[in-house]
Amino acid sequence: MKKKKTPIKAKPNTSGGICDAAMAKAKLDAGQYKEAIELYKQLLKQADNKEWRSALALCYLKRAMPLAEKGMIKEAMVLWENYQQNAEPPYQSYDSYIAWLLQTNNAAKVTACFGRLSAQQLDEHYPNLAALLGLLIVTEKPELEAMLPADSQFIAHLVSVRAALAAYRNNEPEAVEQALKQLPFRSAFRDFRTLLKAALLLPGSTDQAQALLTKIPATSPYYQAGKLLLATTHDGLALVDELLQCEQKPRQLIGTIKKISKKQLELLDVLVKQKDRLSDKIKFNCALQYRELFGEDLAKAYCLAALATYPAGQRDFNKHFGAMDEFEQCRLMALNYEREEDFHSSDYYWQQGIALLKKQGESGAFKIALIMRHIARHQPSAEEGVEWLVESLDYDPDSRETYLKILRQYEQEQEETELYKQWLDRGMKAFPQDVDLLAQAIKAATANKAFKKAAQYAKNLLKIDPVNTFAKQVLFTSHLAHARKLIKTKKFHLVEKEIQQAEKLTLGKRYQNQAQLLRGFFVMLAEDKKQGLQQIAEAAEKMNDGSACGYFCVIVEALSMGLSLPSTLKGLPQPPKNYQLSEQEIGRLVQIVQQYYGDDKSNTAVLHQALEKIKAIIKQSIKQKIVSEQTLLTLAECLDNIGYYELLAHCAKIALMQWTKPIWLFYKFYAEVGGRADQCSSFNIERLQFNYARARDDSDHRTAMRIKRFIDEYYEDKNPFLGGFFDDFDDEFDEDDEDDEDDEDDGFDPFAGDSPMDLFDHLPTAVFEKLQKKLQDIMKKSSPERVINTINKSLSKPIDVSFFMFKPDAFVALLMLQAAAELGIDTGVTGDQIIEFGEIEEDSKPPSFPFF
Amino acid sequence: MKTPYQILEAPEQASDAEIKQAYLQKVKQFPPDHHHEQFQQVQQAYEAIKDLESRTQYALFTVPEADFNGLLKQAFASGPAPTISAEQFEKLLCASVDAKTFNIAASETVTAR
Repeated sequence: MKKKKTPIKAKPNTSGGICDAAMAKAKLDAGQYKEAIELYKQLLKQADNKEWRSALALCYLKRAMPLAEKGMIKEAMVLWENYQQNAEPPYQSYDSYIAWLLQTNNAAKVTACFGRLSAQQLDEHYPNLAALLGLLIVTEKPELEAMLPADSQFIAHLVSVRAALAAYRNNEPEAVEQALKQLPFRSAFRDFRTLLKAALLLPGSTDQAQALLTKIPATSPYYQAGKLLLATTHDGLALVDELLQCEQKPRQLIGTIKKISKKQLELLDVLVKQKDRLSDKIKFNCALQYRELFGEDLAKAYCLAALATYPAGQRDFNKHFGAMDEFEQCRLMALNYEREEDFHSSDYYWQQGIALLKKQGESGAFKIALIMRHIARHQPSAEEGVEWLVESLDYDPDSRETYLKILRQYEQEQEETELYKQWLDRGMKAFPQDVDLLAQAIKAATANKAFKKAAQYAKNLLKIDPVNTFAKQVLFTSHLAHARKLIKTKKFHLVEKEIQQAEKLTLGKRYQNQAQLLRGFFVMLAEDKKQGLQQIAEAAEKMNDGSACGYFCVIVEALSMGLSLPSTLKGLPQPPKNYQLSEQEIGRLVQIVQQYYGDDKSNTAVLHQALEKIKAIIKQSIKQKIVSEQTLLTLAECLDNIGYYELLAHCAKIALMQWTKPIWLFYKFYAEVGGRADQCSSFNIERLQFNYARARDDSDHRTAMRIKRFIDEYYEDKNPFLGGFFDDFDDEFDEDDEDDEDDEDDGFDPFAGDSPMDLFDHLPTAVFEKLQKKLQDIMKKSSPERVINTINKSLSKPIDVSFFMFKPDAFVALLMLQAAAELGIDTGVTGDQIIEFGEIEEDSKPPSFPFF
Repeated sequence: MKTPYQILEAPEQASDAEIKQAYLQKVKQFPPDHHHEQFQQVQQAYEAIKDLESRTQYALFTVPEADFNGLLKQAFASGPAPTISAEQFEKLLCASVDAKTFNIAASETVTAR
């Protein structure tokens, strides 16, 4: 239905047409041509003004062009004709108008226009129209030729084009070339020439043909032909992409040229129809239906993978490719859950898979081991990961990587030293010549001050890898430590040999000087005091930049050998008063401290005493604020490592005067309480929580982790069972600061009120109390995640951490059941009963937990 | 997406030695200096299946990829570009004429009367 026109009325004439003319001009300038046309028409009714008529013409023209672009050719033609009626020649966009006439097959008007078209206009003024006419004449409208000026270059060039095409038909490429050469660069058939040249280059020089075709501009009438020809040079996905963009007719033509089969065309039709809604289901069905095109294996692999997002295809999959074996089903489910990062569910399916593999006996053992190691990677806690790794060795005992992983884990856990030793022994037995295991053994022996043993391992390692720097360093440290011990016990006759052995290890100048320093002590104590002191002074000077570092080394050595400091230092040069460490010296000092600490981690007392002697110098130096934040941070980390909190607190204090990084406030509070989280005030913990969020915002993950660990320790001390749960509730951790204290007061009493705990009502009080005691033991010893994993083994449907949050009473009941299982008590209650009870209690409001 | 076996053109039942042989051949074909990308692909493929452990790992933990484009690539894989006959060329010209063909840019020169 046509819209009723609502002509814009001209305003009553107050001051002639001036007001309306201004308004019309404004509309024209604003691009509101429709409104402008109405206004100018009204104005022209009042008076035939040349300027207004010209403006009206322009409005018509401006409206015509966008309509043509939208494909509203007839409307555009009418508007252009209106333009022509109101404008003076020469007319703009006349060539476009002719093109529209050609498109709408308006023969009469075309003939009239062409009758007025001169050769010059066709050849020079309307190149785009000429190019279009050329294409139309050689394709569907040859009759146009007769209407065009016979004396034009266009007609002359058309002769060459026809000659080229005829030669092409007669399979005379050279004649084609000759004919094409007659077409100059400015010819209306320029792009035709490019196109035909490209066609001639096929199939031999595809690259050249493609390069030629890309030269046809997008505005050329031959552009589309170029695209189609280009499509014939493609295959695979590129060809599909091109074909999907084509209309049916050209698609079929390319199909014929490319010898595409009926089945392939059929698939293309499906893809065209479903272009914008190619769902997983359609793709899955295509893969099944056209599997002869894809190949059986590829189609099967695709469908298998697609089942993850289109599980409803399982039946069809089984029908066409046969049912998957049970293990494969579990494997795919596990991998799908892993992809979604739902490791709890993936573990469940891996375990199902393991159960199936166990039935295969020996042949499945290796796979079981690999799966267990795979599961270990995704465990929420390192200790659970280690459990899986340990179990995996039952199925594949020859995995040195697994031994190493287990050792590295136990190495980090200070309370597991016994386990570490056991596993190191096992590893060494299994792989006595393994470089990495030997390195672990060296570390362990050094940590236990079993220097002889460490040296022996290092020697073994150097036999296998003679340039192993780590082994050399260990051996060097071991020789020096032994030399110190010999000096301390006054077995002087053995010292020189030990020092010489250390010196034989080619480790560099610094190490040689360190050996020389010890020799100085040996000479001082055993041979000639004066000469010894001189040797010490020389070695200390050579070893270090600046006197404070050398002085520090001398103190450490003296203290390590149990010597009296005053008498030793008396004959040695000391740092001058008001001595200040340069930034470089601070860096060097940190290196020295780290090296001594690395050599013997248990002997921090000596380092503390030595630092005590130079702390005034350090304090004075950093107070001057000449040290960069990074250097001060390195010093702070070093002091943190060795637990020298007094100086650490000073560093933090100085740093906070200049910088605002969250780590400094952490170090301030941390050092103030001597690294003991339980001594920290709740107020400072709150401030640290804020700083933790800041560190995360700044992407300073290292600091964030450091603060988090400290806060975790604080809360673990308050409630050992809940502490670990922070790991899973980071977001909540940032919020609800205001409620913390209230929450702590609330406390959660799992034994209060109606709950699934009622299932245990039938138990005698003594048994119930026994279970409660055991339950508390479990809570203290295990992380919640570990407990949940253990519980899950007895449930038909696994639970996750959120269960603990939202159904705490049911969770405690499950813990009771676990306690009973560990004590070997049959309560008559099953895990599934508890879960069922928990689900009935759905309406119950989740209790408030401390810290959540 | 090709599997490591396809990249190295080695059968799935190939032994360590056969896989290494296939790998070395591919490295010859795609030396790192001239075919960096292909070489990397070959290298990764070899790492994925070089020994029993890696092959078992690959078989167990590789998530099959639902690559529909890969299917289409396979289905429409064809040989070299075809010869275009004069008849096909002319048909192609005819097929290229559509509404867009007539949408020519108006010439700047305006002399029509």
